[in-house]
Amino acid sequence: MPQPASVPVEEGVIDVLKNVSRRPIEPALASDLVADLGFDSLQVLEVIAELEDRFDISIPLNDVPTTRTVGQVVAQVASLVAARPNA
Amino acid sequence: MVTPRTLPEALDDAAESDSGFSFQSGTAETSVSYEEIRRRSLQVARALKDAGLRRGDLAALVLPDGEQFLTALFGASIARLLPASVYPPATAADLPRYIELTAGILNAAEARAVVTTRTLAAAFADARAMCPHLSLVLCREDLDAAPDEPNDAPSPGDIAFVQYTSGSTSMPKGVALTHANLAANIDAFAGPSGVAVDADDVAVSWLPLNHDMGLVGMVLGALYTRRSCVLLTPQTFVKRPAEWLRAVTRHRGTISFAPSFAYDLCVRRVKDLAGLDLSSWRVAGCGAEPVHPAALAAFAEKFAPVGFRSTSFLPCYGLAEHVLAATFPPRDRGVRIECVAANELADRRVAVDADDSGGPSTALVSCGSVLPGHQLVVADEHGTALPERHVGEIRLAGPSVMVGYYKQGALTDEVIRDGWLRTGDLGYLSRGELFVCGRVRDLIIVHGRKYHPQDLEWAVDDVSGVRRGRVVAFGVESDGADRVVIVAEAGGTVASGLLVEEIRKRIGDLFGLYVDEVAVVPSGTVGRTTSGKVQRAATKERYVRGEWSVEGTRA
Repeated sequence: MPQPASVPVEEGVIDVLKNVSRRPIEPALASDLVADLGFDSLQVLEVIAELEDRFDISIPLNDVPTTRTVGQVVAQVASLVAARPNA
Repeated sequence: MVTPRTLPEALDDAAESDSGFSFQSGTAETSVSYEEIRRRSLQVARALKDAGLRRGDLAALVLPDGEQFLTALFGASIARLLPASVYPPATAADLPRYIELTAGILNAAEARAVVTTRTLAAAFADARAMCPHLSLVLCREDLDAAPDEPNDAPSPGDIAFVQYTSGSTSMPKGVALTHANLAANIDAFAGPSGVAVDADDVAVSWLPLNHDMGLVGMVLGALYTRRSCVLLTPQTFVKRPAEWLRAVTRHRGTISFAPSFAYDLCVRRVKDLAGLDLSSWRVAGCGAEPVHPAALAAFAEKFAPVGFRSTSFLPCYGLAEHVLAATFPPRDRGVRIECVAANELADRRVAVDADDSGGPSTALVSCGSVLPGHQLVVADEHGTALPERHVGEIRLAGPSVMVGYYKQGALTDEVIRDGWLRTGDLGYLSRGELFVCGRVRDLIIVHGRKYHPQDLEWAVDDVSGVRRGRVVAFGVESDGADRVVIVAEAGGTVASGLLVEEIRKRIGDLFGLYVDEVAVVPSGTVGRTTSGKVQRAATKERYVRGEWSVEGTRA
């Protein structure tokens, strides 16, 4: 279910990360998805799918991803939300 | 069924059928006939020759895109080069380190060319300084010369391709398979004792193409039998597992193989069953990692309302060194499970029915009996065949046993003796069917992909604060899956928490793999053998006994 754009992106991203993780985590903007939060490549893709559904966006999958920290994810989602047709 | 004898011959045959590939990425889908695939492969073949490559030259293919990879593979084969598949990097975060790792493979293979994407080409250009044999770095996008018909063709005894799993600077293992190997295995697994391919079959796969089950099992299996094959990218599946099931529904897919984690992922993540129809799916194969009976049962239960039949499950056993498949159970029977006493299995290496002992039990899945024309024994350490229900190493002989590890004679001699392939896997036979129950060797298997501990050790060896040459990686089985553990000696003043983080980052960047546990231990803890190798088994034993405290355990 898409949320209104007024919902802060950061909160949404952190919520998704907590839902996908199989253990309790406290993500901060500087947290590294792999090293700090324990996500493997499968879970990173699960996070992307959940973010797309929640924010009604399409996150492009490059063959070699570079996104690594929560802050980078938030920035990417925010720019995609801003570019959304009825944002 | 008459299987073509060589890869180019299979492509010629398939090009005369109405079949082809459908490539799906996200929700976009492109259909390409085998005739068109052949035309593009001929273009690649011509372009590779024009670039100066000659018969027998090894060309490493580092291509994440399915269509690009397959046409490069076929094209190199038509041009009579030696194509080798090499894993692309998991992320772009540490390309220099990836290139260094891959340079080890390129050197061992004496690769003359790398065929890759434009993005990676620049990084590989840097590798030329480290690789004296490497004279060409080619972008797949540029290989589009005018196609011409080849004037000669490979023989069945020629090497068809070399498959590199994860690399290692010390001893890269590239599985070299001949055209005859491929034909023998495909003939056996596609035939009546395997999946029994018929005119209505459609294959659906999301498996990576640099993996034996994805390339040989799905793509070449379909091509050699002139059936269509729907290919999703692994990322598409992992991101949205429902896409796999939707592809089966849309194409009336009949054959699809996956490691058992994939069935588990569908149970956990597919929320909406509306619009799915899995009634066409007659062979739901599982392999590449230990089969978890509970995951299969949960999948069958969840998807029964949309037509999935539990009798479609076909758990099988095989390995890349044997092309792909070794054993298959009878079709339409469903999963045969044995519950055996765990202690008897571990201590006495005998499979005793769990009911008779009352202790903890292990549920194991039958992988069926050996394919026709092939031989299997379960042997003790002297190579003597063991009686039924005694655990030993699985050994295979016959036309599917690889030529060897490419340019690694000593390593090949370790695993192939007198024509028998020592698989490194443990199992027992019960009423002629194979039950796999462990591993002799140190391989770590996560989500169906095999990792050599040496590769992981090498990758973290120069992390600042780690004592060089004093890193041990291994897998610890827990609930049927491997947990990845790294034990590293601290060599400096870097805080152990930071060290753990750096080690995880490095492995994540290079392999896309999460290290479940990192133990940072004091200098002098990790022992070495007299030949200077780390004592992996001894270190693992001490770890399992709980000698070291562990940073960051994922529940």
